[in-house]
Amino acid sequence: MISLSHVSKVFEGKRKATALEDVSLEIAKGQVVSIVGPSGSGKSTLLNLIGGLDRPTSGEIRIEGENLAELSDDDLTRVRRDKIGFVFQFFNLLPTLNCLENVALPLHLRKWPRKKIEARAKELLNLVQLDHRLEHLPDELSGGERQRVAIARALSVYPPILLADEPTGNLDTHTGQEILKLIEDLHSRLGSTILIVTHDLEVANRCFRTVSLRDGRIVEDRRR
Amino acid sequence: MMLLRLLSWPYLRRHVLRWTLTLAGIVLGVAVFVAMHTANRSIFSAFDKTIDQIAGSAQLQVSAGEFGFDESILERVQAVPEVGVAVPVIEANVETKIPGQGSILLLGIDMTGDRSLRDYELKDADDAIIDDPLVFLAQPDSVMVTKEFAERNKLEVNSRVPLLTIDGEKQFTVRGIMSSAGMTQAFGGNLAVMDIYAAQQVLGRGRRFDRIDIRAKEGITVDQCKAAVKAALGESFEVETPSARGRHFEGLLRSYSTAMTISSLFALIVGMFIIYNSFAIAVTQRRSEIGILRALGATRGQIQRLFFLESITAGFVGSALGAFAGVGMASVITTYMSTVLEQTTGFAQRVTELAIDPKLIVAGIAIGVITSIFAASIPARSAARVDPVQALQKGKYQVLSAGENRRRRRMALTVSLISVACLFLSYSKLFFYAGYVLMIVAGLLLAPALTLLLSKCLRPILKQLLPAEGTLAADSLVQAPRRTSATVSALMLSLAMVVGFGGFAHSFYTSVGEWMDNALNPDFFVSPSANLVVRAITFPASIRSVIEHVAGVDQVQLVRNARVSFRNVPVMVLAIETEKVSGTVHRMPVAGTTEEMNRLTGQGKGMMVSDSFAQIHTVRMGDIVELPTPSGLLKLPIVGIVRDYSDLQGSLLIDRSVYTKWWNDDTANVARVYVKKGEDVGVVRQRVIDALAGHHGLLVLTNREVRDWIMKLIDQWFALTYNQIAVAILVAVLGIVNTLTVSITDRRRELGVMQAVGGLRNQIRRTIWIEAFSIGVIGLVLGTALGAINLYYSLGMVKRDLGGLDLDYIFPLAFVAFMIPTILAASFIAAIGPAESAVRGSLVEALEYE
Repeated sequence: MISLSHVSKVFEGKRKATALEDVSLEIAKGQVVSIVGPSGSGKSTLLNLIGGLDRPTSGEIRIEGENLAELSDDDLTRVRRDKIGFVFQFFNLLPTLNCLENVALPLHLRKWPRKKIEARAKELLNLVQLDHRLEHLPDELSGGERQRVAIARALSVYPPILLADEPTGNLDTHTGQEILKLIEDLHSRLGSTILIVTHDLEVANRCFRTVSLRDGRIVEDRRR
Repeated sequence: MMLLRLLSWPYLRRHVLRWTLTLAGIVLGVAVFVAMHTANRSIFSAFDKTIDQIAGSAQLQVSAGEFGFDESILERVQAVPEVGVAVPVIEANVETKIPGQGSILLLGIDMTGDRSLRDYELKDADDAIIDDPLVFLAQPDSVMVTKEFAERNKLEVNSRVPLLTIDGEKQFTVRGIMSSAGMTQAFGGNLAVMDIYAAQQVLGRGRRFDRIDIRAKEGITVDQCKAAVKAALGESFEVETPSARGRHFEGLLRSYSTAMTISSLFALIVGMFIIYNSFAIAVTQRRSEIGILRALGATRGQIQRLFFLESITAGFVGSALGAFAGVGMASVITTYMSTVLEQTTGFAQRVTELAIDPKLIVAGIAIGVITSIFAASIPARSAARVDPVQALQKGKYQVLSAGENRRRRRMALTVSLISVACLFLSYSKLFFYAGYVLMIVAGLLLAPALTLLLSKCLRPILKQLLPAEGTLAADSLVQAPRRTSATVSALMLSLAMVVGFGGFAHSFYTSVGEWMDNALNPDFFVSPSANLVVRAITFPASIRSVIEHVAGVDQVQLVRNARVSFRNVPVMVLAIETEKVSGTVHRMPVAGTTEEMNRLTGQGKGMMVSDSFAQIHTVRMGDIVELPTPSGLLKLPIVGIVRDYSDLQGSLLIDRSVYTKWWNDDTANVARVYVKKGEDVGVVRQRVIDALAGHHGLLVLTNREVRDWIMKLIDQWFALTYNQIAVAILVAVLGIVNTLTVSITDRRRELGVMQAVGGLRNQIRRTIWIEAFSIGVIGLVLGTALGAINLYYSLGMVKRDLGGLDLDYIFPLAFVAFMIPTILAASFIAAIGPAESAVRGSLVEALEYE
């Protein structure tokens, strides 16, 4: 499903900074994998590379057999929109769009028919139990509710891969638990492959597999 | 200062292009301002210099407008005991037929007495020519030219110089070359001197002089001499010092320079919005830097001062460059304005050096700096308001450019109401201009609210057209009306200016077109020159019979026009054959009835005046107009006010019989010729040309040629204005670039999210393009609305203070129709760069952007 082979990422600047060094990783379909490590260990960089938001300096990343390095920017975007859903720590909802519009945005970008878009967006918001908040703007929602909207948006096309960067990092413990439960529910219902970047061990322990990073290298790959 | 060096300088170095664009706004405004005033000053100064240089040691000059006066006046002046020296002068701009030399100032002087006033400093032994005037007199084709003119055209003594005279092109012989000193500097050296009696002949002046130059007797003051001459000649002659005479001409350019000043100020105001935008960007981009400074203990005042210092620096650099560029532009504009002036008024002037006024340069720089400080004041206040907690907190974002102000809206409404109230009191100049200024201010104050309203109106339309890109583009505008409104305001002002000037031009063209249809309807015109404003050469009335005898000619109407002084301003007098003219011309009456005004004017019992004359000089029906003539003060009542565009400063129409009697002159400068019905105009014209060939160098111009020439003059008059409009539009486009740059900076994360969830590059680009188009559309709507109001005030201003023209309000629909695609195309072009920068940046950085 996801395959990384000798992937390195170096940030060029006045001083070179190596974020990832010779990382190889195979993630099978349907797995829920947590990526842990201290700050600066390269976990977010790894997620960004898998999500096609960034390109590796060297090495190869394949998503369902497709080599991301060989794709143009627009093709990379197409992979992202068809196969990957993102959940961010700070939700990244568009403040001027209401819940329904936020969830519908990726579908509009895919040029789905309008009726189908509305039905799907409502269905997803129903799935994350926010069917009563369709017309609300992000500012009118709690942190947990915003993250639910973000998850609904990430799932808008039912992508086979869901990438979550600290999905509970900006939430209180109780709300964080609720979000994790939601992700687990969705996994059991949709069977998506899920990667969660976290520094919360409790979150990591709830995953099937935990990959630990330190100084840009995988130091542990533990399965339960 | 330390902060300026540590923080501002590195930021400036990172954004050189943007600051260059910002400075361009100030540079343009100041440059146009300095250039226009320098050009104006240079022309006036050249006028004064020429008059002074030609005057020699003359202390007073006697004149009676352009019509001149009989030779006998000279004896009356010379008989005045206080007068030491009195010599006659004829002065005319005549066309040289030397390629590239244009016109030359021909000075006719009395060789026997003139050297007591003027020194000709002839080269080598040429003095003999003047020492023995008979040598000169014996050869009426003799001229003396300046050393500059001779060198420029490789002329020597006995060389031949072709000049246009009453008899057409005629060769003159150079008998002497004047050294470079004193009067030879006049008119850029394009000066020729000839015997006054020869000049009378070649210019068709009869036994008339243009002027008498006087020096008072020793021991007599200039004032005493002036009083004595005035007493001897009566009120019908002007007795002035040479410098006072020069000042009369300033009025001719006043309306033009005022219009230019207004448009340069418009450009400066539009530039102000660009500066505002640039500082708004700077504050947006430097939020975290400001947050750190605040966290480290910098006070709000220190932050505000930092931005003020930046604005002063930018203002000073931009203004200094603008002043420098303005001086450079001035020489081009001076040449252009001299041409316009010569072609519209007949007063030629050669400007050889620019009159650069240090005070003007300082004023230009001061205006630029003040504009810059004023424009930066709101962003500086926003910078001071940056909350250090929000600025430094990850994931928090303080949108500084957002927000709408209820107080401002209330103020806008109040200002609008006062402005409307001023309309009712607009008979007073103060209230009229106060209303105008307040209406513009109200427009600017309302711009953010109206921008918001229109953005909200656009949202559902855009959402319907392109649900993702359209919605986000509209939301971007809705989110930050102040950010958008700066550019919309710039665009609105530019368009208001375009609509105002365009509407004025359109109304003017329409009115002049109607006037030409009514008044300029002869089949052809006979004139000594292709340029109808040249009045230096006249032809005798006997020409009438030559033309009338041509087969196919139905009617000939002679016209003599010239400027005379009315209330110390040169005004155009047209001596027409009223009875004949009334049968062919149907002037549009503004006051009085056509039949009555024609009857009374024809009987010599009154005169008609143009509405612009009536407006400029605040005269009404029945008022007595006093005109100085060689036979005394001519007093005639106004018996009709008509639409007439013969001269931009207004015109007076008297009957030819009145002119002949009072000026003792029966010459003419134009013959209006009508062809009999059924005759071929082209054939008759050729017959007239044949009839005039041989004994007169007159031209026969077709109606179309004259109309085209007038239209060309108007085009030239408006050309500089159009250039200024282009400058204003350019400045507004810079504004759109800046706004989109701020918008993209403000929405970097938003655009990143859009890409992260599947937005293709073209979809991101489209979002930016739609935003730019929307700004263009809103600017067009508001600009057209404000332009419609501006047009009303512009026409009012033209009527009151810029030529007294009473033009109908005609909204320039075609102009606006042209501006729609122009502005939308400009918006698209302005969006290309920002749209590319939006899709080129790092997605990861965009998603983490604070």
